[in-house]
Amino acid sequence: MTATHLSNDDWTTRIRDVARSARNERIRVLVWQVSLLLILLAIWEFGTRIPWLAKNVNVFDPFFVSQPSRVAAKLYEWIFGAKAGMLWPHLFSTLGSTFVGLIVAVATGFAVGMLFSQHRRLANVLSPFIVALNSLPRIAFVPLITMIFGLGMASKVVTAWFIVFFLVFFNTFKGALSIERELLDFCRTLGANERQITWTVRIPNALSWTFAALPNAVSFSLIGVVLSEFVGSTTGMGYLIIVALSTLNSAEMFAALTVLSVVGVTLVMLFRMLEQRLLRWSPEFREQ
Amino acid sequence: MIEVDRVGQVYLTKTREIWAIGDVSATIDKGEFVSIVGPSGCGKSTLLNIIAGFIAPTTGEVRVHGVQVERQIPAGLGYIFQKDTVLPWYRVRDNIALGLRYRGARAQDINAKVESLLALGNLQGFGDVYPYQLSGGMRRRVALLMTLACDPSILLLDEPFGALDTHTKTLLHRELIDIWRKMGQTIVLVTHNLDEAVTLSDRVLVLSSAPSRVILDHRVDIPHPRDVFTVRETEAFAHHFQTIWRVLGEQFKQGKVEELLTPEQVE
Repeated sequence: MTATHLSNDDWTTRIRDVARSARNERIRVLVWQVSLLLILLAIWEFGTRIPWLAKNVNVFDPFFVSQPSRVAAKLYEWIFGAKAGMLWPHLFSTLGSTFVGLIVAVATGFAVGMLFSQHRRLANVLSPFIVALNSLPRIAFVPLITMIFGLGMASKVVTAWFIVFFLVFFNTFKGALSIERELLDFCRTLGANERQITWTVRIPNALSWTFAALPNAVSFSLIGVVLSEFVGSTTGMGYLIIVALSTLNSAEMFAALTVLSVVGVTLVMLFRMLEQRLLRWSPEFREQ
Repeated sequence: MIEVDRVGQVYLTKTREIWAIGDVSATIDKGEFVSIVGPSGCGKSTLLNIIAGFIAPTTGEVRVHGVQVERQIPAGLGYIFQKDTVLPWYRVRDNIALGLRYRGARAQDINAKVESLLALGNLQGFGDVYPYQLSGGMRRRVALLMTLACDPSILLLDEPFGALDTHTKTLLHRELIDIWRKMGQTIVLVTHNLDEAVTLSDRVLVLSSAPSRVILDHRVDIPHPRDVFTVRETEAFAHHFQTIWRVLGEQFKQGKVEELLTPEQVE
């Protein structure tokens, strides 16, 4: 039977089938993801309960790696139990620094990327310096940043900026240069002056590349903040981890790590949605 | 009126200079539809770029409405590129309005004009979609409407239908002829498709391979209105096609692969 012989009802059924199979696929993926997580947790929980393994293999020694049940108990204690309320200030401190670092880095990375794309000599003179700065191991600078900017929020923001800036800058710079000459000439024939070209062509084009970097940028910003908290801070998730480590409390350390990974996944998902919203006109970015 | 006066254009590569355009002169009258054909690398797109003032010729000069073009786009000039030049971040409506916004038109004038242009391009109902949601042929129409919004008296078309299938291409030919007959612009069309040139234009200029000269200036005296679908079946069409092809085909035969490389590829 060919397609032309299908009645309207048949078509409705077919469209519904396609929608259903897409939904089924999403559910199937989710089931796999949850199963994988449960398997890993089970190996962790029960592996550390086998005496021979715990004694002879360090990665199964609960002294080092704790146990999911103990981590869960610790999280319960932090959120609802004896120490209820102690987690939130640390979490919000980390999140606040992450956002401020991200915003500053995206703004400066975009501005410098645009500036370099418009002033080629400036770009040519400064690019070896930028490449050199970018290839240095960031972690080596964190103690210095902490000494200069102190133990508070400033050094966290600066560390996050130091990592995220380059990501945004390179993306924006590359995007701004990728613009086609024909597009600019075409808009000039429509009567655009250089200022109008900048606002209607160059900036939207470069912004699309900046936005595409957002999900990665937020991850790196979070990493930068936690890194700074490791080295010198009195608040934040990184501070919690380093305190747990120094008191050899592995349950606390993994509890803090669990919170961080949940926050990380949530932030990346949120920023992917934001990116898709901002780039809804661009099929290439949507399909990534 | 467009006067091309002994224009020559040289490309410098690392090892040598290549004269793409040797010595080209031509006069295109107001309201005329002229096509330029020629072998690859003969500088026909470059010639269009020179008329538009995007690049300056190495020798000679171009005058539009009697004024010499010098690195400045002449007033009332529209240009359609082979590449897709619709801005992807604006909806169709805002793309068409772009030229009017650049010129500081009033909002209600813009809206009225955009509506009438959407109708002209048979794009009613597509004003609020983004360009990626349109087919290739529709995006070409949007680019044309963006230009028409500025009421150009001269339209330069650089292989505007090159990437389209024959069906879409022929439909767009019909729309272009209708628009031209209605508005009477001076049109210069660069194409590698002789069918297209004969179907649409009053005159066909054939350029030789580089360094190019005009080797044939042929008038296509098929009367208007022409039906783009049936005109191809007529004897007159075959006659004009053959006359031009005899000259053009000779140029194709002489072409060496090296000469077919564009300057960018040589570098």
